[in-house]
Amino acid sequence: MSSDQLSDPDGIMWNPYLELRPRERQIWGVIAVFCVLLLWAVLSGGGFVGPAKLPTPWATANALVTLSWDPDRGQSLLLTATLWSLSRVLVAGVLVVVLGVPAGVLMGASPRINAVLSPLVDPFRSAPVVALLPILVMWLGIGEAMKIAFLFLGSVVYLIPMVRDAVLAVPQGYWVSPRDLGATPWEAVRHGVLPMAKPRIADAIVVSVSVMWTYITVAEYVNAKSGLGQLIQNARRFSAMDQVFAGIFVIIALALVTYQSMTAIKRRLYPWEAE
Amino acid sequence: MTADPGHVRVELREIVQEYARPEGGVVRVVDGVDLAFDRPGINMLLGPSGCGKSTLLRLLGGVRPIGVTAPTSGTVLIDGEPCTGAHDDAVMVFQRYANRPDLSVRENVAFPFRFGLWRRRVPAAEAKARVDQMLEAVGLAEKAALRPAQLSGGQNQRVALARALVLKPRILLLDEPFGALDAQTREEMQTLLVKLWEEQKCLIVFVTHDVTEALLLGDRVIVLSTQPARIADDFTIPEPRPRSALWQRSTEATQLEERVLRQLHASTGKGQVRVSV
Repeated sequence: MSSDQLSDPDGIMWNPYLELRPRERQIWGVIAVFCVLLLWAVLSGGGFVGPAKLPTPWATANALVTLSWDPDRGQSLLLTATLWSLSRVLVAGVLVVVLGVPAGVLMGASPRINAVLSPLVDPFRSAPVVALLPILVMWLGIGEAMKIAFLFLGSVVYLIPMVRDAVLAVPQGYWVSPRDLGATPWEAVRHGVLPMAKPRIADAIVVSVSVMWTYITVAEYVNAKSGLGQLIQNARRFSAMDQVFAGIFVIIALALVTYQSMTAIKRRLYPWEAE
Repeated sequence: MTADPGHVRVELREIVQEYARPEGGVVRVVDGVDLAFDRPGINMLLGPSGCGKSTLLRLLGGVRPIGVTAPTSGTVLIDGEPCTGAHDDAVMVFQRYANRPDLSVRENVAFPFRFGLWRRRVPAAEAKARVDQMLEAVGLAEKAALRPAQLSGGQNQRVALARALVLKPRILLLDEPFGALDAQTREEMQTLLVKLWEEQKCLIVFVTHDVTEALLLGDRVIVLSTQPARIADDFTIPEPRPRSALWQRSTEATQLEERVLRQLHASTGKGQVRVSV
């Protein structure tokens, strides 16, 4: 690179507000993934790191195939594990939305309720929720209740403050205007404030459900009997690093699909937000 | 509305309004105002920005939900009865129109009929007819299906005005409704307001810091001094509306303008007034 390009007086090389064409963005993304794969292949395939620490990409791909379909037993370990994990996330997700959204809305709509509940909720946003796991095991045992409760807790502490902030971010005019037109306080919240907060509440739901995918493995390590966390834990015990990697990739993929599809639904529901 | 729209009486008696400063102490924004309106008409509350006009306006509709809980002392009477809460026959329109961006123009105009109060008062069929008629009146019938983001600022303010008028309020309180619009749109809106008022005569109290606007629209102009607000002048303009550009340059109009400006300059202090043209 010449010094002319480094100084870049016209801001062609470096302009933070530059809109990349979608095509160019995709190409950069593919290049990045390819570079990581290449580095991974060289490190593992070239014998720099042993297979017990880093499996080769092709061994991982192979493990993925084996896990997907086991011809001897005539079943898919991966599918079963995924369904277990998925249903746990789903149950906890429904609970988080059903309990967390109203709690956040109430906190956002009432300064007094907020004053009471925020000292109870806000500290947990930065607290190590994983450290609560032993307590949950003591209280709820090692079965499904504990796993769901753990996912719920880990996620709801993100959701509630975000929902509250979504409600508080609505300009006061959306409260004043309906009140002035004869709405009761509840009607003003329902018809004025809440509809304005909905897109950001949807964002909060997307983020907090996505967070669950980071907690699912932890929840499934305890009394590992089913799920992707168990699958990874099991593979690790037999030093099958290729299967550990395969499991991690599946979780990342699921988290991505969850996030992308929820974001797409949100955009369909609230097209006016972009205007 | 149920009551006879031609009959309306709003009175402020010895109103004093003070606010507590967050850093301690109190600030008096309205100081001993007596004011009475007893017939439909366009009344202009003219004063420098930040002189307590808006506070006074809120008190005229009973007590509005934000900013004012009750006058510090004094009484608000609507139709002769002391009023301590937001009055159902008074509707307010602000400079910030607060249209719901997710609803169509039509749904925004019909918005108040989502509330129990108006569903009880106005049968659904009549509400629909009123919305149709009002969309026509403000010239938005063809844009009824659009969303607010697809409209201009002036058109959005038309939606806000239509949403208030669809309730056929006996008291319409306007808080600098055209303050954020460009000069040409403001003129269009002033013409529209006069037209709408002719069709549906109610008591309008219109807050402005624009001297030209006050003289162009007002049957009566009430000039307020700077904070704390007191009544500095109060006169009627018999000239019928719409008032032509010729009238605006007449001796009568220029004398009124000078009279108002003299009053405003006499009152000490800060605050801005605007004179267009």
